[in-house]
Amino acid sequence: MKRKLRSQNILIAIGALAAGCACLAADGPGRSTIPATVPAAAPAVLTAMQDELDRSMAALSKGDPPVYFISYTVADREESEVSGSNGALLTSGDNRGRWLEVQTRVGSYQLDDTHKLGDRRPSWTSPGTNVALDNDIPILRREIWRETDRQYRAASEALIKVKTSQQVQVQTAEGNAPDFSREAPHASISAPVEIHVDRKPWEECVRKYTAAFSKSPAVLNSIVTFTALGSNQYHVNTEGTKLAFGQVHYRLELYVQSKAPDGMDINRYANFDWLTPKDAPDDKTVLDRIQTMIQETEALDKAPLVDPYAGPALLTGRAAAVFFHEVFGHRAEGFRQKDINEGQTFTSKIGEQILPDFISIKDDPTEAQFRGQMLLGNYAFDDEGAPAQNVSLVESGVLKTFLMSRSPLTDIPHSNGHGRRQPGFVPVARQGNLIVSSTRSVTNDQLRAKLIELIKAQGRPFGLLIDDIAGGFTFTGRGQPQAFQVLPLVVYKVFPDGRPDQLVRGVDIVGTPLVSLTKIVATGDTPDIFNGYCGAESGSVPVSAVAPAILISEMEVQKKETSTDKPPILPPPAHDPESKGNQP
Amino acid sequence: MKKFTTMGLLAALSFPATAVAAGRPNDMSKLDRAVSRPQQNSAPDNDQTLRALHDEMQRSRARLSIPGVEKPFFIEYRLVDLDVRAITASFGALLSSSPTRVRYMNVDVRVGEYHLDSSNFVSEDGFQGFLGPSGQVGIDRDYNSLRQDLWLATDQAFKSALTQKSLKDAFLGSLTKPPEIDDFSQTVPVVAVDPRLEPDWTSRKWEDEARTASAVLRNFPQIYGTRVNYYLIYVTSYLVTSEGTTMRTSRSLAAIEAALDTQADDGMSLHNFLSLYVEKPADLPDPSIVSKSIAQAGTELMQLRAAPLVPDYTGPVLFDPPASGAILSQMLPPSLSGARPPLSMLPAFDQIMERMGGRSEWSGRIGTRVLPPGVTVVDDPKATEFQGQPLLGSYAVDDEGVTAQRVELVQNGVLKNLLMSRRPGPDFLNSNGHARSALLSDTKPLNSNLSFQSSDALGTADLRKKFRDACREDGHEWCIEIKRMDNPALSSINQQDFSDYIGALAGGIASGEHAPLLVYRVYMADGREELVRGGRIDGLTLRSLRNMLGVGNDASVYSYMQNAGGGFAGTALGAFGSAQGGIPSTVIAPSLLLADVEIRGFHGEPRRVPLVPAPPLR
Repeated sequence: MKRKLRSQNILIAIGALAAGCACLAADGPGRSTIPATVPAAAPAVLTAMQDELDRSMAALSKGDPPVYFISYTVADREESEVSGSNGALLTSGDNRGRWLEVQTRVGSYQLDDTHKLGDRRPSWTSPGTNVALDNDIPILRREIWRETDRQYRAASEALIKVKTSQQVQVQTAEGNAPDFSREAPHASISAPVEIHVDRKPWEECVRKYTAAFSKSPAVLNSIVTFTALGSNQYHVNTEGTKLAFGQVHYRLELYVQSKAPDGMDINRYANFDWLTPKDAPDDKTVLDRIQTMIQETEALDKAPLVDPYAGPALLTGRAAAVFFHEVFGHRAEGFRQKDINEGQTFTSKIGEQILPDFISIKDDPTEAQFRGQMLLGNYAFDDEGAPAQNVSLVESGVLKTFLMSRSPLTDIPHSNGHGRRQPGFVPVARQGNLIVSSTRSVTNDQLRAKLIELIKAQGRPFGLLIDDIAGGFTFTGRGQPQAFQVLPLVVYKVFPDGRPDQLVRGVDIVGTPLVSLTKIVATGDTPDIFNGYCGAESGSVPVSAVAPAILISEMEVQKKETSTDKPPILPPPAHDPESKGNQP
Repeated sequence: MKKFTTMGLLAALSFPATAVAAGRPNDMSKLDRAVSRPQQNSAPDNDQTLRALHDEMQRSRARLSIPGVEKPFFIEYRLVDLDVRAITASFGALLSSSPTRVRYMNVDVRVGEYHLDSSNFVSEDGFQGFLGPSGQVGIDRDYNSLRQDLWLATDQAFKSALTQKSLKDAFLGSLTKPPEIDDFSQTVPVVAVDPRLEPDWTSRKWEDEARTASAVLRNFPQIYGTRVNYYLIYVTSYLVTSEGTTMRTSRSLAAIEAALDTQADDGMSLHNFLSLYVEKPADLPDPSIVSKSIAQAGTELMQLRAAPLVPDYTGPVLFDPPASGAILSQMLPPSLSGARPPLSMLPAFDQIMERMGGRSEWSGRIGTRVLPPGVTVVDDPKATEFQGQPLLGSYAVDDEGVTAQRVELVQNGVLKNLLMSRRPGPDFLNSNGHARSALLSDTKPLNSNLSFQSSDALGTADLRKKFRDACREDGHEWCIEIKRMDNPALSSINQQDFSDYIGALAGGIASGEHAPLLVYRVYMADGREELVRGGRIDGLTLRSLRNMLGVGNDASVYSYMQNAGGGFAGTALGAFGSAQGGIPSTVIAPSLLLADVEIRGFHGEPRRVPLVPAPPLR
């Protein structure tokens, strides 16, 4: 009891100190203002973290090697999930976990144990451990102590390797950039968020939605998943940052698989995201989307394969949003500029024209909405405890900066609040809300008219209308995310003579998709929003991309390789004329 | 196949049957009746699973073919329905609690014929389907969704079998002498539809029990970390084959597994564990009783901390139960399987198996003496208890639908038999009902309730006298007695610790390295026992069991979970499993007195103790 009182006093003191720091930070250059809120009592988990942080720093900063920075992050996630397939439930359950990640950095900001060795691929996964769900401070402290010791040992061993390799290996230019940036402290303690989900109605919905898919014989497999995630994150570090913040997010995902007669896999995917239960999509909205997906699937099954082609292409807003996220956004992530295994397309291009002068791009995680619609990539602090910032990446076609985590570049010494990760991974620079704007916009009808003009001018038999693109952030549940593969899924041939558009499939963009961006000639005037989860090195993180439709003067495509796995031999059991008798 | 959810990562268990009605081989009318039984049977518990399995099987059997290509000669549907609660607590606080309800299916299709089929072949290439022949299926036990899943999985399995068969034919053509052993043996179809067990979580508050049971370790501030795991598991397994086998069996298992670790003052990592397995959750002891056992494990760990290091030693070693059962569970199973290993295009495959101790030393040695005269080794899946102690390895029908048989493996020291699945081997063709698997993985011939006893057994006093005599003859002041063997799957706090431990151990498996946990020096002068730490057994291979100094008459039951993950099943590492995905097994073993066992003391570099002292636990 005595202990408790004392730690509370300390907390109040720290709270006051931290609030002061936050004000100071707000005055600093290039920092956004995040007001610090200090509630009467900090959560037990934060108390335990701060207690151990102080104790560990006191001892380990005098160790051999001395620690210069320690941070503790606890991700407390409460999840309800209901998923189903072909008319039946696959799972339905709630799960809660508290995941602790400890960073103990030895060496210095300039050169520490995390320094990348040669061309060896770093480990993207982050060690960590489950900690108690009960707010039992001594037990929380014990797990934190244990993990701190583990990480300190690992860091000490890593630093020896780093120092040895420093003596024998040639250093690259960006290898001389510091390993870690020094950041101003921030304090913000918000009340924890909670989710209260009754799974029963969602179980019925998931059954109903997947059964609706099963009505089409073309749908071989369907998966519908409802997820509610209440996530509270706690962060303390030895620079004085102390954060508690939470987010609630609901999501419904629809996914279907089919096969064209030649064996090509056909997938369609759709998702709904919302922040408060009242904004959940109603049955009609979802069932309408399911009908659209079935129609697209059936049409794609029958669609002819595209012939090799080079010519003008129009990307609708949502296709353009995904395209910018995959093709531009990932290349603007700061850590790639340091990694010699990366293409480093933009590394030395700051201040240069990389896009047409009517295009500007920013990444602004501080925005929760765009024209009244939610943005999934919104957050207040990133996963390294840095406040989110609106970063202007491209102004009038000129590259200005990169998205930065706390891994600095020679010319960009600080984080701009984009160090993100899925719990269990090491944070790297990632996108939040990537927003593309244009000063050369016309209505979407005018853009289509311009496409036809271009087709005629170039003497092509047709142009392409790309309505949907698969990227790394479409369906997060399956397989390895293909971060940079951009595969147009729904593509129409547009004919100059006014014939109806023709759906084609198997379209593969040839060469560097980036080249296409330089050939944008005009944009539409109504931006579209794509909300999704982006899978890359630091795991799966929620993001948004916003872009208007774009018209590209030349894009080259070829036929995608098809699968050798032919469609099933027998008809679907529910659509088998020879065994109708088996149906219940 | 289906999206695997973020929760429910808990691996499934595969439990064999509890009760069975075997169909007679020639009684086709009974078989037909039995096959149609599921349809009538589906009403009372509204489980449409067997009806869906049966109908899709009929359709596939009748119509699944590609013109000009061979049809399947065998189709097998397996499905497990899991209802699992896994609860973890540490020092009285809850770490996780996850109920999981999930179903998985696996479809096996074979082309060719019993002598030469598409199975038993490992190759790099193969069919790359879009969904594959296995995966998660709906939990509603409904008809339509399961048929849809089975339809696709059967299609994928058939195409995969065709590809495998052509690769295998090509490979066989390149061999000077292809193997003459059949690929698959015939068997009598079994029809057994048991009632489905409804989970009975009882009215107990399991999360609170885990908290209470683990809280006792707060009295041990020198323990670094601990995990007390409760697993409550219900499994219903389904099996339908194109040969007429139809089965539904239901079983439960409840387990408490606890791990605790610390470091000695010199930096040596030390740990201890506790495991407790019963059939039903309601049979688990009250937390006050569990906490006493956990406290005992804590006390042992503190004694280990204070214990002196064991020096290098070669001489007689006495293994007491449960250490004797544990050491046998590591040494015997790799050599009990009579199935031939699969043909492999990859030489590395054989090397890996050998390194993990997966090569049978008894294959081809039927009729020769492999153990001391007087020793009898029996594996009996039908036995349900030994001297009042329940046997968890019991089943009536194995995972291939073959009726379980009691197998006398060794009689009077002479090898008589091997454990067989439907995969024939050089010594035997037919299954004796020992095909077992976990989470629908490939079945392998595995032990169930393995008993090791001798007709020349000695009473405790006589055995100890023999131990002392052997020790004096060897000129030792003290000799080694091992009371418990380590199990890294249970004593590791987290997956990383387990992987590190297994990695360190795996290199020495083939040369007979084993990890004891509680090792005592017994002084000849006064009979005093002294706990020592840090020893490893070295060079203890199956061959060294041919000559023993003595076998006790104090046989007792050692229960453990065979690890079927990572290809461990049937290798020496298969002994290291947990209730999370393991196959329930027992070894009935008495004290064993071995001559000339080598114990190596600790020669590694101990880690330094934490720079920051542990925070208080209260």
